[in-house]
Amino acid sequence: MSSPKHSKRQSLTISPASSLRIRTTSIPAKVPLDQLLNPETTRSSTIPEETKPTGWLGISNIEWDILVVATAAKLLLFPAYRSTDFEVHRNWMALTNSLPVSKWYYEATSEWTLDYPPFFAYFEYLLSIPARFIDPKMVDVKNLGYDAWSVVAYQRTTVILSELVMALALRSFIPGSVNPRIQRIISASLFLHPGFLIVDHIHFQYNGFMFGILLWSILMARNDKKLLSGILFAVLLNFKHIYMYIAPAYFVYLLRSYCMTPSGAIQFANFVSLAQGVLAVFAVSFGPFAIMGQIPQVLSRLFPFTRGLNHAYWAPNAWALVTTVDRVLLQLVKLRGLQVQVDASGVESTSRGLVGDTVFAVLPNIKPIHTFAITIAFQMIFLVKLWRNPTYKSFVTALTLCGYASFLFGWHVHEKAILLVLVPLSLIAGERHGYFRIFTLASVSGIFSLFPLLFTPAESIIKVVYSLLWFFVVILPMSKQLYEFPTTPIGVVIDFLERGYLYGFVLLQAFTSLYPVVAARSSATANGDSLARLEFLPLMITSVYCALGVIWAFVKLSVLYLREKF
Amino acid sequence: MSEPSSIRQRRASNLALNGVSFPATRPSPIPRPTSLASVQSTNYSDTDHSEILSPTPRRHYLLQQQSSQWLQTTGTISPPLSRPSSPLNPNSTHRTHRKQKPSLSFSSLAERHKAQKVAGINSSLARRWVRWMHRNRLKQYVLPCQMLCAIWLKWAIGLGSYSGQNTPPMYGDYEAQRHWLEITYHLPVRQWYTYDLPYWGLDYPPLTAYVSWICGYVANMINPAWVALDVSRGIETPTSKIYMRFTVLALDLLIYVPSLWHFINYSPLLRFRSPRARQVAFLTVLIQPALLLIDSGHFQYNSVMLGLTLQAFNFFGQGQDLLGALFFVASLGFKQMALYYSPAVFSYLLGKCLLLGWKAGTKHLILIGLTTVSTFVLLFLPFLYPAFPTHLIPPVQRIFPFARGLFEDKVANFWCASNVVFKWNNHFRPSVLPKLATGLTAFAFLPSMWALLGPAISGFGSMDANTNDEKGHEKSQSRVPAPTFSLLGHALFQCSLSFFLFSFQVHEKSILVPLLPITILMAASAPTVEGGDWEWGVLLNNVACFSMWPLLKKDGLSVQYIALVLLWNYGIGHNPLRQSALKYFTNSIYFAILVLHCAELVYVPPSRYPDLFPVLNAVLCAGVFGIAYLWSLKRLVELSWAMGSLRKPTVHASTSKIPRPDQPTGDVRSNGSASNVREPTASLSSSLRKRNPVNRHTVEGAPLEQQGVNVVDLSEPSGAK
Repeated sequence: MSSPKHSKRQSLTISPASSLRIRTTSIPAKVPLDQLLNPETTRSSTIPEETKPTGWLGISNIEWDILVVATAAKLLLFPAYRSTDFEVHRNWMALTNSLPVSKWYYEATSEWTLDYPPFFAYFEYLLSIPARFIDPKMVDVKNLGYDAWSVVAYQRTTVILSELVMALALRSFIPGSVNPRIQRIISASLFLHPGFLIVDHIHFQYNGFMFGILLWSILMARNDKKLLSGILFAVLLNFKHIYMYIAPAYFVYLLRSYCMTPSGAIQFANFVSLAQGVLAVFAVSFGPFAIMGQIPQVLSRLFPFTRGLNHAYWAPNAWALVTTVDRVLLQLVKLRGLQVQVDASGVESTSRGLVGDTVFAVLPNIKPIHTFAITIAFQMIFLVKLWRNPTYKSFVTALTLCGYASFLFGWHVHEKAILLVLVPLSLIAGERHGYFRIFTLASVSGIFSLFPLLFTPAESIIKVVYSLLWFFVVILPMSKQLYEFPTTPIGVVIDFLERGYLYGFVLLQAFTSLYPVVAARSSATANGDSLARLEFLPLMITSVYCALGVIWAFVKLSVLYLREKF
Repeated sequence: MSEPSSIRQRRASNLALNGVSFPATRPSPIPRPTSLASVQSTNYSDTDHSEILSPTPRRHYLLQQQSSQWLQTTGTISPPLSRPSSPLNPNSTHRTHRKQKPSLSFSSLAERHKAQKVAGINSSLARRWVRWMHRNRLKQYVLPCQMLCAIWLKWAIGLGSYSGQNTPPMYGDYEAQRHWLEITYHLPVRQWYTYDLPYWGLDYPPLTAYVSWICGYVANMINPAWVALDVSRGIETPTSKIYMRFTVLALDLLIYVPSLWHFINYSPLLRFRSPRARQVAFLTVLIQPALLLIDSGHFQYNSVMLGLTLQAFNFFGQGQDLLGALFFVASLGFKQMALYYSPAVFSYLLGKCLLLGWKAGTKHLILIGLTTVSTFVLLFLPFLYPAFPTHLIPPVQRIFPFARGLFEDKVANFWCASNVVFKWNNHFRPSVLPKLATGLTAFAFLPSMWALLGPAISGFGSMDANTNDEKGHEKSQSRVPAPTFSLLGHALFQCSLSFFLFSFQVHEKSILVPLLPITILMAASAPTVEGGDWEWGVLLNNVACFSMWPLLKKDGLSVQYIALVLLWNYGIGHNPLRQSALKYFTNSIYFAILVLHCAELVYVPPSRYPDLFPVLNAVLCAGVFGIAYLWSLKRLVELSWAMGSLRKPTVHASTSKIPRPDQPTGDVRSNGSASNVREPTASLSSSLRKRNPVNRHTVEGAPLEQQGVNVVDLSEPSGAK
């Protein structure tokens, strides 16, 4: 096959070939021998950093590429499935627009009452102003469940536009980073994160916007503008109070590195300015309600302690594992007929599948105070380390770990909260291979654990294909740049097991997508009742399998952080 | 755009030392010692210097820190080039000759191309992404990513509504296709074309019916309610929609994507393109917005018909005419719209038979005829036996509905556009109009037939020679593509566009048929050629999407339309403001499209003209398609000229001995040059031949290679990597 091709190519280039030959034979003779033998050394690392011609509006071509691709993808998702959160936000928009501020936290026409802090209510009010002009029915409190095309297009567009806050923050991370090449991939990966696509653009929420504020705050900490960082975080807290999970890390970091000198002397001026800034933010947020004397009402809306340990679908945390152990033990007890005290309400809880409050049948029940104790205990370990090493990198790691501990051991944790772990974790993923491997494990299992949010079959292909694409263009190139072969035998085994775990997700996806089909077919026959009865089995297995990866990544990150010398 | 003064100095010294220093745009891969270079390079200089200028020692290109900034200077000052600055050099700073055509010489063109590359003009999302993947050692992931990307896009479009959603009692195309699943699965073959015709009776050829039967069978396995006979009419459950969308995606992945992959990797048209350029080309065709919007959004199975035709085209390109004929007939058997291509395909195959001469040609013709007929017989087999003609009549009547009007809805063709000023139905009897349309269509596609048949008639028998392949086996010339293959793509385009513009009963979706050849030609060509296939391909794709806007709007796919058209144009790097021969034409059309879109948003048409915007749309698009038709005429003439004469050599090859490949005399005829497509230079000599019959023998006596003519052999398409 090869010989005729050669002859053809020669016939093509008859005339230039002769001149070419002269050149190629004459030049190498004058090159020093070592350069010839070892061309790599002469190039070494002085190859100019990849040039990015600045494009339109001073935004580089690659940034435009990412923006255009992401926006086109999000536009296509307009008609996709949307959860009740969509109606929740429409209702908030309606009530902030049509009611005076004094009634915002008392309004209860819809079951979706306002339960976010005041800044978010102000944000919804801002959104409702253009909405009134586009379609007045959108902002009618009584118009429950309104889902005309105008609302869908408008609300989806606001998510896309508000996410630009995050895009700007991520873009600003690149200059000044240790390794701009890796940071560029990380920034792109966060902007294109499947988590945001699933939670914001399909399920419907404004996480991209709020994580944008968080990232700005972290960026300010990196750029040594700690006062601004603290104020931004206070702003964020007033948008959504879930970020209180990571507040301890902020508190310790700012106190140690901003309000104190490295030697330990207190800097009063800094402390006062920070305190004033934060208090001012809270005053703007809660001030109007404090004047009206509504603070107890607002707080009762923000912190409803009436929910169960697990959410409907178990978030992949420690309690998912504990609950699974309880369920397995219960089956054992039933099979063997052991004389163990079984809680009747716990048995009932299992038969109700995964809906409602979780009550253990065999194991002792967990109370909210237990979860808080465990969470705070874990956070304290990391905070002590942060107190001793108040550097930026240490701060981001501690931030991740605080979010992580809350996610793993918190009360009524929602699976969406995994983003609280994945976003700061991404920022340290490029550090070295150890961190990168943790990032890979946590991202893959975390993103997979978000899949059950979208249970409709049409969106299943969307989420799986998109996540796979994201994996190919984010994890693989980073892996090529950062991979280090494990140096110890135990490291080799762990590396092997972790890879196996990652491949296991293919099987898991196959199982979860085939199970309903098989169950439906077998329930048609006489004896297939048992499969249909276990309709929550795929969810449970997903939760447990993801929990394994998430917890393992937590253990690795904790060890890495505590042993790290900053 | 300011630049550091050091760079400016460097450039000044570069210009002063032109010819002495090495051109910075073409760095030698290995740094040479500067002292030697400075002395030696003066020998290369063709200008006389009074003294030896010793250039300042320069670091190696890769070691220059400033080179990164220097590369960004894309403004009015061109990067320093090896050629001296002169008014004739298009890259020179002389701006006085702006009107002058820049393509003055091959070398200046090459320099210009290089300058464009340096400046990143010839860059696009697809290109940048492919380059990035290669740099990150992820070459082998490019194809999977492209596939995932295409699947994602198609499925995401499918989340939207489809034709006729929530519009009882008749619904739309979606319900038609779903209904066919139902009737083919539940009814015997005899009743397929006769069952309850008013409710979406089957009016596509049998292959569609068979595919529907398979889809219906699978659907019945999963959930019988989706295809229950009569009961399931208008079923709109989410799962049945997902299943229908899934069948489109699956058939697309089974037929269209593999044939596209085959085309990109093995077609002679892409033979000299780099792997990266091919990957970009693959993506370009894969996410072609018009096809995606119609198939995945509006809901149809066009990609199957187009995929089969594309596969036929691939086989013709490899000289596998019988397989090609089989696939083309399959395409016809899936959707009669493939008839738009048939004159060109027929002419190509007939032309090849003519070129093969009496003996081989007749044999080839008979084989092709047999393949075609037997494929047709196979397709219509269930309708042929017990009673031969009676059962065949219903399908044929259904497939060719001559009883309908001249055009339906508002379609961007000649009839609908001219109907604005000249009411055809008022001036002609309804029975005359189909004949008129047929006559005009035939007149319009004649040039494409002539382009394929003309050279074949004049070169009758010129392929009548057997060559040996490298193993010494005799290789029949019928297994290599005819030289007219290089015209086939454009002929297909022109032919199908003629049908679209002039034939009877055209739908707006039929623009997909001419769009396929122009899109693959576009993907196969370089984007840098001004006014070339690439630019026309982009323009026509965009205009085609716009021509389907009324339909897409009705289907509720406007957001998808905007997103996809923008994404595709941005993705392939289409910049209408770029300097080009088509710049003003393209921009004025885009401007008109934009004006129409905006006007539709803010202005409600008066009740006298409810169809104001669709009609304006049709007129504008028909105008563009008409101009595209003329352009394809020009292109065919150009390509025929480039192909040169196929006149048979004086000595008949059939009488000469079969030569061995290692024979040094390298006879022109036997080396396959008669079957070769020559470069323009070759055809120049051949046209000389025609004019000077005296000179003819001497020119033909020597092999073309010895005459200094580059010969491009298309005979054996290789899967060159």
